[in-house]
Amino acid sequence: MAGRVIVITSGKGGVGKTTTSANIGTALAKNGHSVVLVDTDIGLRNLDLLLGLENRIVYTLVDVVEERCKLKQALVKDKKNPNLCLLAAAQTRDKSSVSAEQLKKITDKLKKDYDFILVDCPAGIEQGFQTAIAGASEAIVVTTPEMSAVRDADRIIGLLEAAEGIESYKLLINRVRPNMIKSNDMMSVEDVENILSCGKIGVIPEDTGIITSTNRGEPIVNNEKSLAGRAYINVARRINGEDVPFLDIDEPKNFVGKLKKFLSNLGKHGKEQ
Amino acid sequence: MEQLLNDSMYTVDLGNIDSAAEIIFRLSSILDNSEVRNKKICLKLGNVDLNQAQLLSIKSLIGGINSILASVDTKSVETERVALSLGIIVSNVSSENTTDVTPAEPYKTADEYIEQVQQEAVEPETAVNTEAQNENEAQVQQDYAEEHREQSEKSEQPQDEQQVQNDNNSDETAQEEQPKEEMRDELDVIFGSNPVESSIFNMETPQDIYEDNHEMDDIVVPEQEYTKEDIELESFPTKYIKQTIRSGQVINYEGNIVIIGDCHPGCEISAFGDITVWGVLSGIAHAGSGGNQKARVRALKMNAIQLRIANCYSRRPDSLNTVYIEKTNSFTPEEARIINNEIVVFKIND
Repeated sequence: MAGRVIVITSGKGGVGKTTTSANIGTALAKNGHSVVLVDTDIGLRNLDLLLGLENRIVYTLVDVVEERCKLKQALVKDKKNPNLCLLAAAQTRDKSSVSAEQLKKITDKLKKDYDFILVDCPAGIEQGFQTAIAGASEAIVVTTPEMSAVRDADRIIGLLEAAEGIESYKLLINRVRPNMIKSNDMMSVEDVENILSCGKIGVIPEDTGIITSTNRGEPIVNNEKSLAGRAYINVARRINGEDVPFLDIDEPKNFVGKLKKFLSNLGKHGKEQ
Repeated sequence: MEQLLNDSMYTVDLGNIDSAAEIIFRLSSILDNSEVRNKKICLKLGNVDLNQAQLLSIKSLIGGINSILASVDTKSVETERVALSLGIIVSNVSSENTTDVTPAEPYKTADEYIEQVQQEAVEPETAVNTEAQNENEAQVQQDYAEEHREQSEKSEQPQDEQQVQNDNNSDETAQEEQPKEEMRDELDVIFGSNPVESSIFNMETPQDIYEDNHEMDDIVVPEQEYTKEDIELESFPTKYIKQTIRSGQVINYEGNIVIIGDCHPGCEISAFGDITVWGVLSGIAHAGSGGNQKARVRALKMNAIQLRIANCYSRRPDSLNTVYIEKTNSFTPEEARIINNEIVVFKIND
């Protein structure tokens, strides 16, 4: 069995790489796959916090590389989902502690035992990025509908195309606000796709629940009611090869909004007829 | 953390050698190197079975150059057994059967510990309790030496208040009496019910105070064993740091550490002796990293992600996962120490 190594990257910081890694990883594990999340953001690790595993980390990626422990020892099992493991980054070191070849060796080893290896990439295009993409054959480029994030994503896609190992890459558009798109204050999902000329694997709406879930250390996919959580579950299914329609993220929250939408849809139908 | 430990240790890797004679030969040539003198040595062995005589001769070889054989890393069960019988720490990081190293147990608060002791005490009452008591009493002595500043302040506390406290404690149910009793004894000592003792404090050893002070006759003081570890702790130098320790910062010192300021999550503090934090401790603290079982971690607020004392590990209970700790002026200082191979956190004012 050969697992798939997927790197989650963006170039720009703060667009949601780590949140995406944690949620897709959890969603895949919930679907019964064995998943390892590898945090390569050495010195600024956050993935452990999002999963609520901060207090369980004894050995880190750097310890594995420097052979102070076995790879198996450094894998921290998730609290709820035994299919999910985390290989945490060291907090007290920096990016130069792990080289591209060393990470590739680790992901190759993990491939044999796990279905999915998700590599959380640090921001930037320097050594940390080069290390993170070394072992991966697929990439998910996270971006938000903002010009700066799209520019950086473009740069990243260029680098991914130039990289040897990456066979395919997909776009994940995060923090989309349907209301702002409607009022022409935000680029639409289609605009982003056109600018980057790259297929998308998911569209995640902006959700305040993400902040609470981050603080609690529990991925939002565990919350069935959350729209963002459902969107992440769909992304996980698409990664797995299923054909899932994109969510209608413009879902009104209150009753009045629902009624309005229903009426406007009714109106459209009437005109068409 | 292991790396920090290794920095102060010298690891001799003989994992690829498969005969006992060869190991001793190679070791003696390595020990000629002056780098190895006055160090703690961690010996990495492979699958070789060493008997007691062989291991003893290795130990004396290392002792001959003023170094200590601190730990042995072996894959052989036989060697492990012999090493343990000689009192050598066995760390089989490299052995296959120790795959699960996540710190299993969250650290306990004093109340949880008392509960646990009570449950255990139902049958083998004497064994567990006396052990805990011995431990407690030994620590009482140490408190004397190390917290005398607080003590002299606190000892001016009015007698009535002390009385109230005692009354409160005596309200406890009969079942809880035994462990609470121990804690109260300790409290009395820490807070010093007699002002005289704080004035003579600096001149007398704790043992003398016990004997001179007749008011404390009711406290059962067992035969004090003032162990090597206590002496070691007291002889350590102390590093004094007056700043906030932030994420990613590592402090590693072969002695005691006193930090005036907070220790934020993501920092690592490791000391051969005690760690005292005058602030909120939220990072990883490793007291007694050289193996001293009596080392302790103290903080105004204990929120450490992980606590490690000597070779004991514990993690923060998941229930304590607070995002933000409000800094009030009513913190109760807390102290973590090893009791029966478990790390227990005591509220000093409980």
